[in-house]
Amino acid sequence: MTTPVDGGARDIISCLPAECLAQIISLTSPADTCRSAAVSHSFQSIADSDDVWKSFLPSDHEDILSGTTSWPELSALSKKELYLRLCDNPAIIKSNQNMSFALERQSGKKCYMVGARGLAIVWGDTPTYWTWTNLPESRFREVAELRYVWWFDIKGRIGTRMLSPATNYAAYMVFKFARNRKGFSHKAMDLRVHLEDSIAGQGRKLVILDPADGLPKPYQERGDGWLEIEIGEFFNDTGDDGTLLCSLMETDGRFSKVGLIVEGIEFRPKNNI
Amino acid sequence: MSEVDMAVIKPEMMKSYIWLQTADGSIQQVEQEVAMFCPMICHEIMQKGLGSSKNYAISLPQRVSPAMLSLILDYCRFHQVPGRSNKERKCFDEKFIRMDTKRLCELTSAADSLQLKPLVDLTSRALARIIEGKTPEEIREIFHLPDDLTEEEKLEPLKNTTDDPRIRLLNRLYAKKRKELKERQKKKSVEVEDGCVDERSVDDLLSFINGENADSKGVRTSKNKKKNRRRRDPQKRTSIDQVAESHKKDSNGLGCLGHTTGGDNESHSTLSETSKLQDIEDDIFDHKVELDDVDIDDEIDPALKEEIDREVEDFARRLNSDWPERMQELLSLGQDRSPVHFSSNGNGSLRKNRRDLMVEK
Repeated sequence: MTTPVDGGARDIISCLPAECLAQIISLTSPADTCRSAAVSHSFQSIADSDDVWKSFLPSDHEDILSGTTSWPELSALSKKELYLRLCDNPAIIKSNQNMSFALERQSGKKCYMVGARGLAIVWGDTPTYWTWTNLPESRFREVAELRYVWWFDIKGRIGTRMLSPATNYAAYMVFKFARNRKGFSHKAMDLRVHLEDSIAGQGRKLVILDPADGLPKPYQERGDGWLEIEIGEFFNDTGDDGTLLCSLMETDGRFSKVGLIVEGIEFRPKNNI
Repeated sequence: MSEVDMAVIKPEMMKSYIWLQTADGSIQQVEQEVAMFCPMICHEIMQKGLGSSKNYAISLPQRVSPAMLSLILDYCRFHQVPGRSNKERKCFDEKFIRMDTKRLCELTSAADSLQLKPLVDLTSRALARIIEGKTPEEIREIFHLPDDLTEEEKLEPLKNTTDDPRIRLLNRLYAKKRKELKERQKKKSVEVEDGCVDERSVDDLLSFINGENADSKGVRTSKNKKKNRRRRDPQKRTSIDQVAESHKKDSNGLGCLGHTTGGDNESHSTLSETSKLQDIEDDIFDHKVELDDVDIDDEIDPALKEEIDREVEDFARRLNSDWPERMQELLSLGQDRSPVHFSSNGNGSLRKNRRDLMVEK
C-alpha cells in the first residue's frame, strides 16, 4: 500500500477534473476500464460511471433495446451493467422474435443472430423434410430440424445499416448435429457471403461440414451448447451497402442430407490479428 | 477578430500583444494571435476587453502554471498558423506530447481550463495509451495512487472482464451441473411427496440431530449466516435444505456436519474465502442463480465440491495475477475460439474434463 510520504509521492492525477479523467478512460477499452475500477476509489467512481460506459455502447443502443422484449428490465440498469449484460445475454427483438441483439465484449460492437424462422430455408415449410421444435438451449422459440432433404439451401439476410460501421464482420451458422446425420461428410457445402445487389464483397468457400474422424473440423464449439461454422466475412464500411446475404447450399440430388439442427445465423465482429 | 486582421493587413505596424497573468502573480506578454487560439483567452478579450495592458492582464485559471502556459503557447504558436498540412501537425503533436506522465496530467488540466479542446484530446489520448493494458497495480504506481479499495471492492470489477473461452466453458458446465442438481432435487422431492421411507427418516434424523447433537444446530445457523451473506433467496434455500436433509440417511452426511462444527474457525475462514471467490465466479455466471452451490455440494458430493472450489480459486487467482499475459492473450484471441472438446454426460465425465482444463494452462 503506497502511502504519500513527501510531495513527490502524492498522486499526479488528482489535478484532473472528473470529466477529463472520464474522457481519458473512455479512450481506453471496456476491459481496461474494468481494470481501472480496481485501482483506487477515485478511479473506481469514474470507471463505473455512465458517462464512460455510454461511450462504449453503440450510439443507438437505446433505440434498438427499446424494441426488445427485455427493455423494461434493461432500462433500469446502469450503462456498465447494461454493457456487460448484453455481452452474454442477447436481447430478443420484439417485432419478429426471430432476431437477437448482443454486444461483442472487447469492442462493444453490435452482434445480431437471425433465428431459423427468419432464414430462408428451402423446403422448410414441408414437414416431411424440416420440422420445427422448441429446444430449451435455444434463445429462440423454435429451431429448424432437418429430417432429410436433397436440396439443402439456407439463406440469411441482414441490412448492413444494422451493423456497426467500419467493422469487419463474419457470419456463422449456429447449429447442432442430430444423433443420426448423413450426407455432410463427403460432399462439400457451398458457403457464400456477399451483398445482395451486387457481386461486390463476394466471399465463397467449399467446406465439408462433417469430415471423417481425424480430419480437422471446420466448425467449433460456441460454449452455449451449439456449434458454429463460419460462412464468410464482410467488411462493413458505412452501412450503406444494402443487404448482406449469406447462403449455405449443397444441392446434389444424388445424396440426401439428414440430421442437422439449425438455430440461426449469427453476425458478429471478427478481428483478424 | 478585427485586431487580428489589422495585424495581418498592416505588417509594418507592431504586432499586438496580450498580457496574461498566471496564478503565481507573474505577468507576461504574448502575441495576440497565439493567445487567441485559446477559447478562454479569446472570450476574456472579446467579452471583457481585458488583456490589452499590463494593468488589465487576463487572469488565467489556477491550473495554468507558468511552465504549463509556456507549453500551451508553444502548441498554439504552431497550430494557429493556417498553412500547415495535416501531416505536419500530426508530426508536431507526436513530438510535443513526449513528456513524463506528471506533466501530461498537468498539461491536460491546464488545457482543459483554457478550453483548448484539441490539446485536451491530444493529451487525453496519450494518457489513455499509458493506461491501456496495465494492471491496477501498475496504474497505481504510475499515478502514485493510494491502494484504498477493500479486497471486496477490488474483486467486484473483475467480474465479466474476461472473454476467456475456458471460463465461459466453466460457466456452462456449472450451469449444466446446476440444472442436473435441480432435476435431482425435483426427483427427490417427488419421491418424498410419494410418502416413501425418506420422509420418515427425515423426521428421525431431525429428532436425532435436535436431541443428541446441540452443536449441529449451531452449525446450521452458521451455514445460514454464510448463506445470508451471499444473499440468496431464502425460500429456495429452505426447500433445498429440506430435500438435502432427506439425503442424509447415513453417518457420512452427519459426519460432514460434525466436521464443520469441529473446525469452526478454520473452516469458516476457508468457507468465507471460497464463498468470496465463488462470488466472483458466480457473478461471472448468468444472473439467475437459484441454488447455493456450496451447500448442495456439501451434502451430495464433497469430493467434487473440493475440486470445484480448487478450480474456482485457481481461476480467480489467475484472473488476479496475470493481467499482462492475459491481455496479450485476449488481444491475440480476439474473437477466435479454439475448438474445445467436451461432453457432460454426468459427474464422471465432468470431472475428467475439468482436469483437462486445468492441464491446458
